[in-house]
Amino acid sequence: MSKLSFRARALDAAKPLPIYRSRDLPDLKDCVSINRAVPQMPTGMEKEEELEHHLQRAISAQQVFREKKENMVIPVPEAESNITYYDRLYKGELKVPKQLIHIQPLGLDNEQPDYDMDSEDETLLNRLNRKMEIKPLQFETMVDRLEKASANQLVSLPEAKLLLNEDDYLLKSVYDYWVRKRKNCRGPSLIPQIKQEKRDGSTNNDAYVAFRRRTEKMQTRKNRKNDEASYEKMLKLRREFSRTVTILEMIKRREKSKRELLHLTLEVVEKRYLLGDFTGEVLNEVTVPLAEKPVYTAPVTLTNGNRHKAELKTKMHKTGLMHQVSIKDEFPFDCVRPKKKYSKRDKLYTQRRPGRPPSQYTVNKADIKQYDFHSSGEEDYTPPLSPPSEPDEENDPDGLFAFRRKAGCQYLSPHMDQNLGVLWEHPELAGMDALRHRHSLTALSLPSRLVGLGRRRMGRGGRVILDRASSGLDVVLKQLDPDAFASPVSRTRDINRLVAQRASMSSGVSSATAASSFAEILNNIQSLRWHCFRPRPAQHQVNEGSRMGKPSLDGRVTSSLLLNTKNNGSGGITEEQYQDHQQQLAQMQKQQLAQLQQQAATPCSKQSSLLERHNIQIACYSECVSKTLDSASAHFAASAVVSAPPLGHVNNENKPHKTSVNGVLHLSGTSRPPHSATLSHSGAGISGRVSSSGIGGPLLPTHSSSSLQSLPNHRNHVSAVSPAHHHHSAQPSAPSPSALKLATVATTLDHVPKVTPASTISNLARENHEPERLLNGISETTMAMEVT
Amino acid sequence: MAQVDVVEGCRLPVLRKNQENEDEWPLAEILSVKEIPGRKLYYVHYIDFNKRLDEWVTPDRLDMKKLQFPKKEAKTPTKNGLPGSRPSSPEREVVSAHSTAGYSSQTLTCCNSKLRFKRKAESVSLAPQASPVTSVPSLPGSNGTARRLMASQPGRKRKANCGGTDEDSQDSSDGIPSAPRMTGSLVSDRSHDDIVTRMKNIDCIELGRHRLKPWYFSPYPQELTTLPVLYLCEFCLKYLKSLKCLQRHLTKCNLRHPPGNEIYRKGTISFFEIDGRKNKTYSQNLCLLAKCFLDHKTLYYDTDPFLFYVMTEYDSKGFHIVGYFSKEKESTEDYNVACILTLPPYQRRGYGKLLIEFSYELSKVEGKTGTPEKPLSDLGLLSYRSYWSQTILEILMDLKPDNGERPQITINEISEITSVKKEDVISTLQYLNLINYYKGQYILTLSEDIVDGHERAMQKRHLRIDPKCLHFTPKDWSKRGKW
Repeated sequence: MSKLSFRARALDAAKPLPIYRSRDLPDLKDCVSINRAVPQMPTGMEKEEELEHHLQRAISAQQVFREKKENMVIPVPEAESNITYYDRLYKGELKVPKQLIHIQPLGLDNEQPDYDMDSEDETLLNRLNRKMEIKPLQFETMVDRLEKASANQLVSLPEAKLLLNEDDYLLKSVYDYWVRKRKNCRGPSLIPQIKQEKRDGSTNNDAYVAFRRRTEKMQTRKNRKNDEASYEKMLKLRREFSRTVTILEMIKRREKSKRELLHLTLEVVEKRYLLGDFTGEVLNEVTVPLAEKPVYTAPVTLTNGNRHKAELKTKMHKTGLMHQVSIKDEFPFDCVRPKKKYSKRDKLYTQRRPGRPPSQYTVNKADIKQYDFHSSGEEDYTPPLSPPSEPDEENDPDGLFAFRRKAGCQYLSPHMDQNLGVLWEHPELAGMDALRHRHSLTALSLPSRLVGLGRRRMGRGGRVILDRASSGLDVVLKQLDPDAFASPVSRTRDINRLVAQRASMSSGVSSATAASSFAEILNNIQSLRWHCFRPRPAQHQVNEGSRMGKPSLDGRVTSSLLLNTKNNGSGGITEEQYQDHQQQLAQMQKQQLAQLQQQAATPCSKQSSLLERHNIQIACYSECVSKTLDSASAHFAASAVVSAPPLGHVNNENKPHKTSVNGVLHLSGTSRPPHSATLSHSGAGISGRVSSSGIGGPLLPTHSSSSLQSLPNHRNHVSAVSPAHHHHSAQPSAPSPSALKLATVATTLDHVPKVTPASTISNLARENHEPERLLNGISETTMAMEVT
Repeated sequence: MAQVDVVEGCRLPVLRKNQENEDEWPLAEILSVKEIPGRKLYYVHYIDFNKRLDEWVTPDRLDMKKLQFPKKEAKTPTKNGLPGSRPSSPEREVVSAHSTAGYSSQTLTCCNSKLRFKRKAESVSLAPQASPVTSVPSLPGSNGTARRLMASQPGRKRKANCGGTDEDSQDSSDGIPSAPRMTGSLVSDRSHDDIVTRMKNIDCIELGRHRLKPWYFSPYPQELTTLPVLYLCEFCLKYLKSLKCLQRHLTKCNLRHPPGNEIYRKGTISFFEIDGRKNKTYSQNLCLLAKCFLDHKTLYYDTDPFLFYVMTEYDSKGFHIVGYFSKEKESTEDYNVACILTLPPYQRRGYGKLLIEFSYELSKVEGKTGTPEKPLSDLGLLSYRSYWSQTILEILMDLKPDNGERPQITINEISEITSVKKEDVISTLQYLNLINYYKGQYILTLSEDIVDGHERAMQKRHLRIDPKCLHFTPKDWSKRGKW
C-alpha cells in the first residue's frame, strides 16, 4: 500500500474520531507510515532543557514502562524534613472551623512591629532588665519605629525622642545600641527587606530587585512583537487627539467671549445712545467708580441690615445731596485713603456726641431702631482694604463694609446740635484738615439761590458732591439772593484767613439762630468775611449753560453735568454729522428749556428745593432723549462712541466745557453692574447715576410731573430704576435684590420715608413732598459752583 | 592539582552520586569559585543536568586530568577596566601553563597570581555584571557527548537569541535596559539570566517541619543569602535570619493558614485564594519561596495581576502549605496557570496532579479551556502530560458503544469536557500515540499497554479534586479596571 503517495488530511478537531482498541485493528501496523501527517505538537519546554538527561530518561522510561519507575524520576536536591523543635516553635493547636475560612480584607493589619528580636537583642534586653523592665515587644516596637523612620537617613537622637516617647535612659540605651547595630548591619535595614527599584532605572538589571511596579497596564498579546509598539503609538495618538480637543475647546471659548464682548459693546453703545452719552461722560462715570471700588465700596441700596457705615455717617452729617459734577476739586475727597477718612469721621462723630438737645423733628424711635440711621459705638470700625469681590457685588454690594445691626444695641437718632457741630466749631482741627472740613456758604446757579452751609468735595468718578450742613442760619440764608454777593471774589485761599473766617462764623452760628441777623450775615458775606461758594457765571449762555454751566476751575479741564455732555462733540465725526446732530439737539434743548421754565413756574414754596428742579431737569432730559431717538442720532451716538477721541478734544461749538475723560471707551467696565455708582452717593444726593440709569425707564417723567408723590409711587420708582440698572449688568428685567429690598423698606416706612439713606430717589421724593421735614436741616442739593 | 587554576568556564568531570547512590563523573562546568578558610569551593553545573543539581563541590571531586579551558576568543573586553568588577576579564580566562587538554595553546596564558588575587576579592561577590562564562564554545567531544557540539555556552545555554552580544543584555549601564514585559506571568525571559541568577543563593530554608534545599536563585534580601539557614514562618512565609527571630515572630504572627479565602476543602486538603494586589506581603513571600524551586520565573514585577491558589494540608497546628499555583486574573492567551509548584517535601505524592486538577476545575467553573503558561519545566511537563493522559484516557475508556456503533468523540469535545486546551489534547494524544490514520480517516486506538498502564496509574491516584467541594465564583477582572 503506497500510502505515502497521498497526503493525509489535517486533523480536524471538530471531526469525530472513532475509538478502537488495538486488538480490533490487526492491520493498523500497515497504516502507521502516514501517522506523521499529524504535526508534532511542541512540548512547551525550552529546547535545551528538553534534552536534559534526566528528563529524557524519565520520558523514555514512561514510554517504555507506562508508569513511573522509582529510579527513573528526575532527581532533585534532597532535604531533611524533620524539625524536632517544631512543636515547641509553633505552639498551640488549631481546631479546624466547620465553615470555609473567610478572611476580612481589613482584618489583616495588626499593628505588630515588623522587627523581630534576635539573640543579640536579647542580651541587651537582659542587661537592661536589670535596671528597668522592658518587654521584647516594646523593644521591637522601638527598633521598628527607628528603622522605619530611617529610610533615607539615620534618625537622630532628638528625633528618636520625639518618635519613641520613652524613658530617657531606656531610649538612650536602645538608641545607641540600635545605631551600633545598624552600623554593623550588612543590609540596608535591620528589618530585612526586598530590594526596591530605583526610579532612575539603575536597578533594572539588579537581580535582587523584585516586585517592581508595573507602570502601565499593557495587555497585548505575547507573541506579537509589534503589539507593544502599536500600543505605544495608539497611546501617543490618543494623547495628541485629546490635546487637540482641548485646544479646540479653548478656541471655542475664546470666540464665544469675543462674541459676547461684541454684543456687550453694542449694548453699551445703544444704552449710551439712549442716554445721549455722546462724549463718553456717562461711561466714565460708570467705569471710574468701578475702578475705584476697591477703595471705597460704596454704600448702596437701603437694604435692611446691610448698610454701609460710611453711608450712615454721611447721613448723620445730614449733608448734601450729591451732585455729580466732574470738576476736579483741589481738595479732593480723600477717597483714596479711606482709613484716614474714617478716622476723621470718627473724630467728628465723637465730638458731636455730647449734648443732645431735644430733637426737633419727629423721628419715631422704632423706625430709628429699625433702620439704624445712626450707628453708635462701632464708629471706629476701620475696615481693612480688600479688593472687591466681584461675584458678590450683586447680592452683597457692601461686602466687607456692610453694616450689620448688632443685636440688643440701641441706635440713636441724630441731633440737631450735632448737625450744628460743624468743623469750625473746633478750631483745634484747623490746619490741613480744616480745608477739607470747612463748610462755606454755598449758592447754586440754578435755581439761583443760597443753600446755606455746604462743603464741596470730590466724589467718586470726579463728581462734585456738596455736603450740606444745617445751621440756624439756614432760614436766613435761603432768603439771600446769591447775586447779592456776586461781587468779585478773591479766590486766594489763605488758609489762615479761612480759618479765621470760620472761627468767626462758628461763633456766629453757635451764638445761635436768633442772634444773627440777616443783615449781619449779608454783611459778613459781602465783606468776604465768610467764604462763599457760588457758581461762576457761565461764560457762554448756551441752553444748559444757563442752568448749570460749570466753569472750569483753575483752568483745569472740567466737564459739565450730563446735559452738558450732550453738546460736547466727539472726534471722528464729520462736521456734517455733527451739525446735523447739533441741530437736533438744539431743538431738543429748546424744548427742555420750555419745559423747564414751565416747571419752574409751577408754584413752589420758598424752599422748593433744588431737588425738585433737578428732578425736572432730569425728566426733561429723559424726555428729550426719548425724542432724539432717531436714526440720525443713533448713528451719531454710535460713531461718537466708536471714534471718540481721547481727552481734551476741543469743542468746536465754542463751549468752554471740556470733558476730561471724554469719549474714551471703557468697555471693560460696561459689563459690570453700575449699581455701585448708583448707590455710592448715598449721602442723600442725586447721583448722576440715578439719572442716567433712570433714563432708560419711564419713571423719571412721572417723578417730575408728580406734585404729590405718594409712597407707592416712590416705591414704584425705586423698583423701576433697577431694571435699567440691571440692563447694564446683563440681567434684563430682573429686579435686583437690592431694589427689591429697597421696595420692601419703602413699604415698611409707614408712609414716612424719614431719612431713607442710600436711596437717592427716596430722598428726592421725600424732599419733594415733605418739605417740612426737609426744613430741619436736611441736606439739599446744590449744583456745581465756584468759590465766591 | 595546586598548580592548575580552575576558573569559571572550565569544564571537567565532577563526581556526584546518582539516584542509585552510585558514583558517576558527569561533565560539569565551573560557574564560580570561592575560597573559604582552608580550601576552595567550586560551583559546578552538570552539563545536561538540570540546574537544580548545581552545587558547590570541593576540589577533590574534580577530575583535573580532564580539565577543559574556556576558549579565548569569546571574551569580551572589560567595560570599565575596574579590576574585580568583571570576573571574565581576559586575563582571567587564560589560565594554566600546562594544558592538559591539549587545546590550541594560544588560548592559554599564564596569569595565576593575578587570578587568585581576584577570586579572593570576589569570593562572595555577586556583582550582577559577573559573567565569567561568556565564552566556552563547544568543546570537541572529549567526553563523548557529541551532541554537545551545537550546545555552545553551556553556562548560559538558554540565551539562544543573544548571539555573541551577551554582555549588552546583561550589564546595560549603557543603552536602554531591557525590562521584561509587564504583562503575562512571572516567567523569566532569560534576558536577565546572568551569573547571579544562575546560581543558587540560598543554602537552606526552614519552613515548618521541613528543611528545603533551594534549587534556584531567589531574590531574598541579599544580607540573608549568606546565612546557613533562612527561616520562614510556615504560615505567613516571612523570612527571618535566625531561629530566635522566628520565635519572636511567632509570638506576633497569629496566622495559621494562608491569609486568603478558603474556596475548597475536602478532607485535609484546602485551597486558599489570595489576591496578589490585596495581599502583597504574603504574595511576595510566596513568590520568593516559589522562586527557589522554579527556574523559569522572574520576580521582576509586582504580583498585582495574579491570584494565588495555595493548597494546604490541615493538621492540628494549622493549614500547612503544600503547593500553590498562580493565575493571571486576566489572561490573553488562555493561561489558567502561571506558575505551579509542589513544595519538595510533598513532591511525587500526587499533590502536583491535584494542583493541576484544581486549576482545570476552576477553568470548568469559568467555562473556559486553559493551558499552563510556557515554558514548562521538566517536572512540569511530566506532571502535565501525566495529568492530561489520565484525564483523556479516562474519558476515552468511559465511552460506551452507542447503539452498537463504535464510540467516537471529537477533540473539541474532549477539550470542552476537560477544559484542557485543544492543542494540549492533541499533543497528549500524539504523545500517547493514540492518533492513527486508518482507511481514510483519523481514529483513536487504545493499545493494551496503555489501557493497563492507565488502570494501574488510576489505582494509585487517590487524591482527587471533588468539584462539589469547590466554592468558587469567578470574577470578571476586566470590569474592575485594575487587576
